Amino acid sequence: MTATEDNVSTPEATAPGRLAGLGPVGWLRWGWRQLTSMRTALILLFLLALASVPGSVLPQQGIDPAAVSQYFQSHPSLAPILNRLSLFNVFSAPWFAAIYLLLFASLAGCVLPRTVRLLGSARQQPPRAPTNLARLPASAGYRTETGPAQALRQAKALLTARRFRISEGDGWVSAEKGYLREVGNLLFHIALLALLFSVGLGGLFGYKANRLLIVGQGFANTPTALDVFRPGRLVGPGNLAPFAINLHGFSAKYVSSGPELDQPMSYDASLTYSDRPGGPVRHYQLQVNHPLVVDGVSVYLIGHGYAPIFKVTDGTGAVRWDGPVPFVPVDQTTLTSEGVIKVPDAKPGQLGFAGVFLPSAIDAGGRLASAFPAALNPRVSLVGFTGNLGMNSGQAQSVYQLETTGLRQLPMQPQPLAAGQSMKLPDGLGTVTYVGYQQWVSLAITYDPGQLPALISGIAALAGLILSFLIRRRRVFVRAAEGADGSTEVWLGGLARSDAAGGFETEFGELAELLRAELSATTTQPFVPERGELATPDASTPAANDETPDTASVSASREGE
Amino acid sequence: MSRLPAERQPRGPRRPRLSRRTGLGAAVAVAAIMATVGCAGGDIGGNNPASSGQSFVGHSYESTYYQPASRPVAPPVSGTTVTGQHLSLSQYRGHTIVVNFWGSWCAPCRAEAPALGQLSRQLASRGVRFVGIDIRDQPDSAAAFMQQFNVGYPSINDPNDQIALDFHSTVPPADIPTTLVIDRDGRIADRIFGASTYRQLLSVIDQVTGQTT
Repeated sequence: MTATEDNVSTPEATAPGRLAGLGPVGWLRWGWRQLTSMRTALILLFLLALASVPGSVLPQQGIDPAAVSQYFQSHPSLAPILNRLSLFNVFSAPWFAAIYLLLFASLAGCVLPRTVRLLGSARQQPPRAPTNLARLPASAGYRTETGPAQALRQAKALLTARRFRISEGDGWVSAEKGYLREVGNLLFHIALLALLFSVGLGGLFGYKANRLLIVGQGFANTPTALDVFRPGRLVGPGNLAPFAINLHGFSAKYVSSGPELDQPMSYDASLTYSDRPGGPVRHYQLQVNHPLVVDGVSVYLIGHGYAPIFKVTDGTGAVRWDGPVPFVPVDQTTLTSEGVIKVPDAKPGQLGFAGVFLPSAIDAGGRLASAFPAALNPRVSLVGFTGNLGMNSGQAQSVYQLETTGLRQLPMQPQPLAAGQSMKLPDGLGTVTYVGYQQWVSLAITYDPGQLPALISGIAALAGLILSFLIRRRRVFVRAAEGADGSTEVWLGGLARSDAAGGFETEFGELAELLRAELSATTTQPFVPERGELATPDASTPAANDETPDTASVSASREGE
Repeated sequence: MSRLPAERQPRGPRRPRLSRRTGLGAAVAVAAIMATVGCAGGDIGGNNPASSGQSFVGHSYESTYYQPASRPVAPPVSGTTVTGQHLSLSQYRGHTIVVNFWGSWCAPCRAEAPALGQLSRQLASRGVRFVGIDIRDQPDSAAAFMQQFNVGYPSINDPNDQIALDFHSTVPPADIPTTLVIDRDGRIADRIFGASTYRQLLSVIDQVTGQTT
């Protein structure tokens, strides 16, 4: 600003010449000021919100790569263009990074200089007392027999005792209090920066992962064992905490009557874990919102479902699959679930099955449906396919979906199987048996090293904000001089900065009274509180000393409010 | 605002103060948004396993060669094979070992399996040994896979990822398939993420053994 103002004041500097004369440093300064302005920060914030929209509309590579390749197939001309714009990878796109880095710079550029300014303000000494204290919003005048120097000493002692910061000079004492406000302000700003830093820390070193785990199975926290893995920018496969978890049991309880029928009451997963290979094995009951915390990594229970157990024998009589297959709930209230079984190594032909699992099967008007989420009457209904599952070409596919393009549906009557029942496949392709069921849980694994610092900085920011709102800066000045009659005239003045909460007047009134008593003085000008509660009609009349018309008008306007 | 007239004087015009406050509000909002994004979910009902399944499958071939001076020592690895025998990598001491992490359900693993089977037979005379690590698999399915692709070399069954974890501090597998080539001194010389072709894998083994066929 100062550079521009200087140019304005020089007569040669005309408007067009001023732009040319800005120079590279000037432009940089201008750019920085624009970047750190609040308007820019708000625009960037809005852009950030806007830029994350395609991330939720379009499938994302890091979250659902199968959906992305599917999108490429269904939109062959549009997808490459979107890909070039990083729209399948929004959150690691260069333009997305540009927005949040600019936002970070903008906020830091705003907060940092302000922090420095606040630091200076918190260390400031009270200013020199104004000449005419009667002009101040709060003032009082006395006459005393105590000498000026002694009066000031006593005033200083009084203010010091009330923990004012003091500076003094010839014939005056200045006192200021409420620096905690600045400390609070400072705390708020520093905490804000720390908050931003913590969020960044989490983004760089944190990770999130999901894993579906069937009862009786185990896994280790290593990338190949995770279904979904979203690492922070600086997280490598070797940075994952090397814990291992085994799931031994899971129970879900549901409301079995009343208006809240089918509603879950509790989930309880019983597991053992070790924090490192060969480490001690510990037990843990995992429940919703009671995560297991290992090495700072939280493991949450976020879902559950059924994994029917199948045994598939192919046409040669060899068992090609014997184990649980996780089915995904399609209806949360009844836990009707769907899943697929792929048997790519069956002979003479590859086999695939699409199935529906009904935990509590009932006959609903000729159609089979599930009436309750618990497995009271579990049934599985299967549709069989043979042909090419498309797995040998190397194209990755979902384990929860069957690519039916290369497949022929087997002519079988879809009949619900109870545990232990088998279904013979046509054309000598083999047999499939529904053995029983197991349960699975879905675990969310999150590591965010910025979480605790973010919480602490959040609390600190709030505390700072409260401090800066509740505490006010207020100044009290005292002047003492020898009057015409040989007695001492003492003037007391005060003002509060940002006294939104009020209360300064009461404090000043008390101080004025204390000082008067201390000096055994007589009042020449009483303190008139703004709201006038303490004022009497007599007291509001200015004393006939050096009162100026100016001050009189100020007090008049005060009373008018 | 304060009603004290004197207060406004030293603080200058009001506009910048207001805008500064808005700015801090914006900063708080950003932090709030970011914190929300980073929050872990607590609702058990709405969370299903990833509809995509294994997100670590299907990356394209990526080979990293380690210079002899900077090769990490391979961890001691042992376990029970798909066919029920005990197997330890130390049995192959002095050989070049190709360690392949695979699963019968993994399409890229199925694509590269014929090449691995062929190379294991061809390079046996050159002292190269192949060992599979079968992960997240079901024994019958794994056995069917090995029969189907005529995989002659043994595979350790690793249902709980303990072997993947053994490599945690050296070269952890981060993709399915992952192939590690261990030199004759028991140090990891190359790591391949994704499916490899016959030629790709052969050239890697040639580089590690310092020979060409």
